[in-house]
Amino acid sequence: MLEIQELATAYGKIEALKGVSLSAKAGQVTCLLGPNGAGKSTLMLTLAGILKPQRGSVKFEGEELVGRAPAQIVARGLALVPENRLVFPALTVRENLMAGAYKRRDMAGIRSDIDAMFVRFPRLKERIEQLAGTLSGGEQQMLAVARALMSRPRLLLMDEPSVGLAPMVVAEIFSIIRQLHQEGVSLFIVEQNAHMALKVAQHFYLMEQGRVSFSGSPGQMADDDLIQRAYLGQQRPQTVES
Amino acid sequence: MTDLLQLVVDGLIDGGAYALIGLGLSLTFGSLRRLNLAYGATAMLAAYLGAWLYATQQAPAWLVAVTVIVAATLIGWYVERLCFACTTQDATQARGAPVAGADGREVVALASSFAIWMQLEQLAVNLLPRHLNAFPSLAVSQDWQLGELMVRPDRMGLAVMAAALTLGLAAWLERSRIGLSWRASADHRIAAHLVGMPVERLQTVGFAAACALSGLAAFSILSLDGQVTPMFGMWALLKGLVAAMLGGLGSVRGVLWGGLLLGLVESLAQASFGAQGREFASYALLFVVLVAPWRRSRERFLATAVPG
Repeated sequence: MLEIQELATAYGKIEALKGVSLSAKAGQVTCLLGPNGAGKSTLMLTLAGILKPQRGSVKFEGEELVGRAPAQIVARGLALVPENRLVFPALTVRENLMAGAYKRRDMAGIRSDIDAMFVRFPRLKERIEQLAGTLSGGEQQMLAVARALMSRPRLLLMDEPSVGLAPMVVAEIFSIIRQLHQEGVSLFIVEQNAHMALKVAQHFYLMEQGRVSFSGSPGQMADDDLIQRAYLGQQRPQTVES
Repeated sequence: MTDLLQLVVDGLIDGGAYALIGLGLSLTFGSLRRLNLAYGATAMLAAYLGAWLYATQQAPAWLVAVTVIVAATLIGWYVERLCFACTTQDATQARGAPVAGADGREVVALASSFAIWMQLEQLAVNLLPRHLNAFPSLAVSQDWQLGELMVRPDRMGLAVMAAALTLGLAAWLERSRIGLSWRASADHRIAAHLVGMPVERLQTVGFAAACALSGLAAFSILSLDGQVTPMFGMWALLKGLVAAMLGGLGSVRGVLWGGLLLGLVESLAQASFGAQGREFASYALLFVVLVAPWRRSRERFLATAVPG
């Protein structure tokens, strides 16, 4: 479904992605693990068209996405739930959802999808006319997911959906991920919470310093070692000095 | 008592003009989080083009009105390209949660719009070097007598137009799809990109529309005086800015209340302290609103509202 080949993105002279190749299969949950600064969010923003890569290719259902504007990428069925959620703080919950459906024109479908979101996220229904900026972190995360779903994506990208949230809320978010997977939505998730991520993923990649360093299915690699690398990066050879 | 009522009515009617001139300024700030110092000069140069057409070609009032509005739109587009397009958040460099103005580009925009202000004003003065220039007059000399009150119908009409335009625009921005996308782009550029909105185009069009409004305001206000002087640009910027800031910069409905309040305070201050008191009162009012304690709760809200 998603094929990434040798993707490289730089901020000025600093190359954050140094040629990343990976793929996500339709109907699966694919997870990308890695420590801070590995380039995970850079990859996500590049996929969404916010950042422009220096080289490489991103094929979504056979179609090249590199060089396309974010609006065209959304229209093709790829939606990103960004890091830090990035809801529209001064818009209401309802308006955030309407904004998520910006590329759609079927008003009846949009309305019924909003109702469906309130079934899926009952907490949002209580806050329908509230400004998104006044929601709690967990509620904002749900809103960000709901907003992305409003574009009816075939592949949902999620960047660190659990970051900064209380354990109970994290569990809730992951149960929603499982639910979406069961409904047939393909997901590509970036996570630092390797423990949770490995429970929902069918396939995972480990990213370190701008490169994919490992890929496999959960259980293939000793989980302890993997979790350590996901949080801290590859261990350097121990040098013992005085 | 009647005198006081008359002062209030006069003040509110003047306030309509302030709201009208502040509307475009507030819209610009609302969409870009940038202050356009060239705003008054844009309206002034457009008005001068209209006055020039009126003086040299004996153009009728409607043609002058169209000219002023179109010219203000085009000059606004020029200002946007030069000062604002390159200094708003660049999508390819955005990372994490961008906070407007975090990187000093707003200062660049402010300074360059000041430079353009000088440039536009100089152009206008070169076009029509005399201090006082004729402008097509739509003034009605006959006052309306409403009981004890005297109302100038032309000024009243201007105030009603300002109120209708402001409230209508605010309602449209709240309900329409374009309004939603425009507010969303102003609220969070990256998020707006992510949901597929054409952020850059929305902002260019919004900026030009705000300048078109400044043209409409300039024509309406100047046509009541039947003349234009080089002071108009400065006047428009100052009154518009105070009205917009009183109402909360960026708020469309707020600019109407801000304008009315400014007009009211000026009218009462002039009656009590004379012409100088009028100017003093408007800035004192601005000062009070800017340091008032209730601002704190708003800032706290903004601090929590901006993620990251």
